[in-house]
Amino acid sequence: MSTNGNGHKHKHNNGHEHSEHLIDLRDLVKVYRTPAGDFPALRGINLKVGRGEFVSVVGKSGSGKTTLINMITGIDRPTSGEIVIANAPVHSLNEDQIAQWRGRNLGVVFQFFQLLPTLSVIENVMIPMDLCNTYPLRERRGRAMHLLELVDIAENANKLPSEISGGQQQRAAIARALANDPPIVCADEPTGNLDSVTADAIFDLFADLVSNGKTLLMVTHDEDLADRAQRKIVVSDGNIIAGETV
Amino acid sequence: MAHEILHEQEIAHAEDTIEVPAERERPRVKAPLIEIPTRWVKILKDMWGNKTRSLLVIFSIAVGVAAIGMIRTGRDVIENDLFAPFLLTNPSSASLYIAPLFDTDLAHAVEGMPEVERVEARRTVAAFAFDPQGKKWDFGMEAVPDFKDIRVNQFDVEKGIGTPGVREVLLERRSADSLGVTVGDVVTVQLPDKNTYPLTVVGIVHDLSKIPPFLFNETNAYVTMDTLRWMGQGDGYNRLDVITSEPSTSRAHVVEVASQVRDRTLEPAGYALGSIAFGGFSSKPRSFWSQDQINGINVVLNAMSIMCMLLSGGLVINTISAILTQQVKQIGVLRSIGGRRAQIIEMYLTNVLVFSVLALIIAIPLGLLGGFGLASFFADRLNFDVRGVSLSPSTLLIQVAAGLLIPLGAALLPVIAGTNISVYDAVYQYGISGSGRNGIIDRQLNRIQTLTRPLAMSIRNTFRNKARLGFTLATLTLAGAMFISVFSTRASLGAQITEMQRYLLFDVTVPIPRNISVYIAEREARRVPGVAVAEGWANTRANVIHADNSEGGEVEIRTTPDKSITIAPEMVAGRWLLPDDGRNVVISYDVLDHEPDLKVGDSLTLSINEKQRTYHIVGIASRHINRYVVYMDYGQFVKATGWADPVSEVRIRVDPAHLGTRPQQEAVAKAVEQHFRDAGISQSHPHILPETLDQISKSFDIVLIFLIIMASLLSIVGGLGLAGTMSMNVMERTREIGVLRAVGASSRAVRRIVLFEGMVVGLTSWLLSVLLSYPLGKGLSDSVGVAVFHSASPYTYSWQGMIGWLVLATLIGAAASLAPARRASRLTVRQVLAYE
Repeated sequence: MSTNGNGHKHKHNNGHEHSEHLIDLRDLVKVYRTPAGDFPALRGINLKVGRGEFVSVVGKSGSGKTTLINMITGIDRPTSGEIVIANAPVHSLNEDQIAQWRGRNLGVVFQFFQLLPTLSVIENVMIPMDLCNTYPLRERRGRAMHLLELVDIAENANKLPSEISGGQQQRAAIARALANDPPIVCADEPTGNLDSVTADAIFDLFADLVSNGKTLLMVTHDEDLADRAQRKIVVSDGNIIAGETV
Repeated sequence: MAHEILHEQEIAHAEDTIEVPAERERPRVKAPLIEIPTRWVKILKDMWGNKTRSLLVIFSIAVGVAAIGMIRTGRDVIENDLFAPFLLTNPSSASLYIAPLFDTDLAHAVEGMPEVERVEARRTVAAFAFDPQGKKWDFGMEAVPDFKDIRVNQFDVEKGIGTPGVREVLLERRSADSLGVTVGDVVTVQLPDKNTYPLTVVGIVHDLSKIPPFLFNETNAYVTMDTLRWMGQGDGYNRLDVITSEPSTSRAHVVEVASQVRDRTLEPAGYALGSIAFGGFSSKPRSFWSQDQINGINVVLNAMSIMCMLLSGGLVINTISAILTQQVKQIGVLRSIGGRRAQIIEMYLTNVLVFSVLALIIAIPLGLLGGFGLASFFADRLNFDVRGVSLSPSTLLIQVAAGLLIPLGAALLPVIAGTNISVYDAVYQYGISGSGRNGIIDRQLNRIQTLTRPLAMSIRNTFRNKARLGFTLATLTLAGAMFISVFSTRASLGAQITEMQRYLLFDVTVPIPRNISVYIAEREARRVPGVAVAEGWANTRANVIHADNSEGGEVEIRTTPDKSITIAPEMVAGRWLLPDDGRNVVISYDVLDHEPDLKVGDSLTLSINEKQRTYHIVGIASRHINRYVVYMDYGQFVKATGWADPVSEVRIRVDPAHLGTRPQQEAVAKAVEQHFRDAGISQSHPHILPETLDQISKSFDIVLIFLIIMASLLSIVGGLGLAGTMSMNVMERTREIGVLRAVGASSRAVRRIVLFEGMVVGLTSWLLSVLLSYPLGKGLSDSVGVAVFHSASPYTYSWQGMIGWLVLATLIGAAASLAPARRASRLTVRQVLAYE
């Protein structure tokens, strides 16, 4: 299930090294330029994640764990290094290419859910299909309903996000992340804003997704939850100090 | 390259589809009747979810589009229902006043000239008539040779018959309204000799060549020559209405043809050409009597509608920026779930397009209605019928183009700028505003230490987003400058009228017939109780003769008593007349409009009663508003005219030291009228000063009403813009406001910071408006002056307008920030955290 850093590699015809790993980060550096001076958030990260892995990323505040996940999702860009995900050189794509790639290949779950407030729960799940044109118009509502059933909030489908609880909003956000059926789901502190019972339920949901073949990366402060993942990566001062390889 | 990879991915992830358990019973999906793509659902729901803001944008676009429609439709109606029918009446190029009375043979002779296209003889007789309230109206009677074949200045019969018999009269419809009579009624006409004649109204006609009575209290009627004979008037005509050969609308050509008529036909036959009239205020022959004014008003209104549309564009920029600012996180989320920038740009531009279409739906009928209102307003004043309004294809096209393209164009920049944000910045960085405030303005503001903290924060906050501040200030400044300019225009025209009063320093003036001696007129006036000063003035008409012997413009020659107290001339150059000043004359500045080369020291040759005399200009008096006046010594006037002891009017003062009150003026006017009638001096109705000034004011009040309406619209648009900006500012600083509250700021303190900020913007815009309003006001004042009076008035800056806008700008600033301030003060620390 997991691979180590010695996985097979060969040159891809686009000039990037082809990787057998689903996620392959190579010498990843991220430096933030601030008025107070340069701040290195990631200092040469190398990480490989295989298909179907459930990886938790932990670390103290400011350690670089959110930056790391943002590199994988393409939300933030590296200062140097390569990000190859399912053989896509994410680091070399422009913003629009990344958006399109992400929409089809990677679901993102934020700490604060980030549902669109004027759309109902089901419409929030439908909108990625619309933006990426992945399913015919007539099929989208049915598929969105399937996903809401999967995350167990189908009865709230026509409610606005403000009308449901935080846990239900996070479930809706997960359903939205799955809308285009991406192989990878990345979640940044998905339980950070939830009580422990709801957090457990969300974790179980993630575990179900992994058992259905999804690859899941989850940033969390919660050591207990992190320990329940198949693989735990510990980030400190911009370096992976544990879990780089399994 | 990337696309190849994406293609591979599509194939790859198709194998990973999640299987949904089939055995679970699905809740009912409430599917809409028509499924539309979710991003468009979002746009519609966003619009509906923020109705106030949506209405604000729709209204601001609609205001500009409706203004365009109103002005263009109004103009079309005036073109179709006034100017076009007017041309069908065969309007004359000029009216030639001829003495002595002549018969139709002379008219035929003139018509035989190759320079003349068509001629009609008319006889005009000035009389009076009384309305049911006893008000006395000037009553101008005209006789034509054949009512069944009117060839020039034709009119339509609206009621009754078009051919009056003896002792019968046709009335112009507005005159009939003013006199309160209709077909079958009898109108009592009083001639200057005091004799009265009952005339039966047999027809009501519509004559577009006549100025409606509301302006000069003059009513118009048509009678036969037999009726005039019955009234004791001599047989024959005194006016020729002439349509010249082409170019029949060229003033120079018409004057030249009139000279030819005089030289080759009138004078050889023993007739004298008294004066040439072009009709109304229009400078162009064969044009409607107020065409210049209408055109002038159109130019000003057009400029205002364009400005309104531009301000609407500014408001669209502000509001779309507000929407984008509010939705920065949403834009980030849309991008995080696969939205391309082009898709997001398309979404927001579609949003603007929907706003525009809704605005058009409101604005097009509103513009049509406004156009109808505008045309009806003019129709009422100018005596024409609005036969209906229709939306011309060109107006519709311009409205649609302006309504769609201007908002889209305006929104393009903020949409492109607003969507150019990475997911990281949108989701993780937004709400932490402006760390690098190091501009000159910011540094200077930071140095101000004497202000209270909340006030200092308000002022510094104002200048944080300079681009947005720039847009808001531009909108409000333009509105403010226009507001002050309208008041300055009003002040300039008002000052011009007040200034003109120096030539009208009388309480009452009474026209006197020519056969009365000035000594008798003055003496009889002084006998009336309440009259302290009576001055006999005489005037006549003359033409300027150029050095090459060609005829120039017509002027009015006036002679005043020595040491007159009813005139206090302001000299632009040279000096005023001295007693026994010989051939020295003073001209009004207005004369220079037609004779721009004249100056003090020049000779001036005038043709008076067919005799040419040369005078010496010793002074130029200030503007008289459209009065081309030459003042001369009384003795010279007598020599020039050959009249003995001439007097044309008696000017009366109730007190030598100052003008009387209106009741005093009215009482004296009544007493003088009675006394002059009893003494057989004059049957004329005296005029009091306020009436005279009212008549002048009326002519530009119409323009000012429209300008004030437009300035108010601009102020509303400006205020809406500021409201949008303040909402954005509060939105962007939600986190800061939370911090302020966390460190102990009360709701009142937060509210005050936002309110102050709005007022600082209002006051800054006021300062800029004051600067801009001077040149803008001068331009507007000149345009309106030229439109109304044919000459630009001396510019008077309106301090009242400036103070008024200060109050308004402060109020707009406060009102526009009220809602955002309340919203800010209601934010709790918890909500601010939730804003994450």
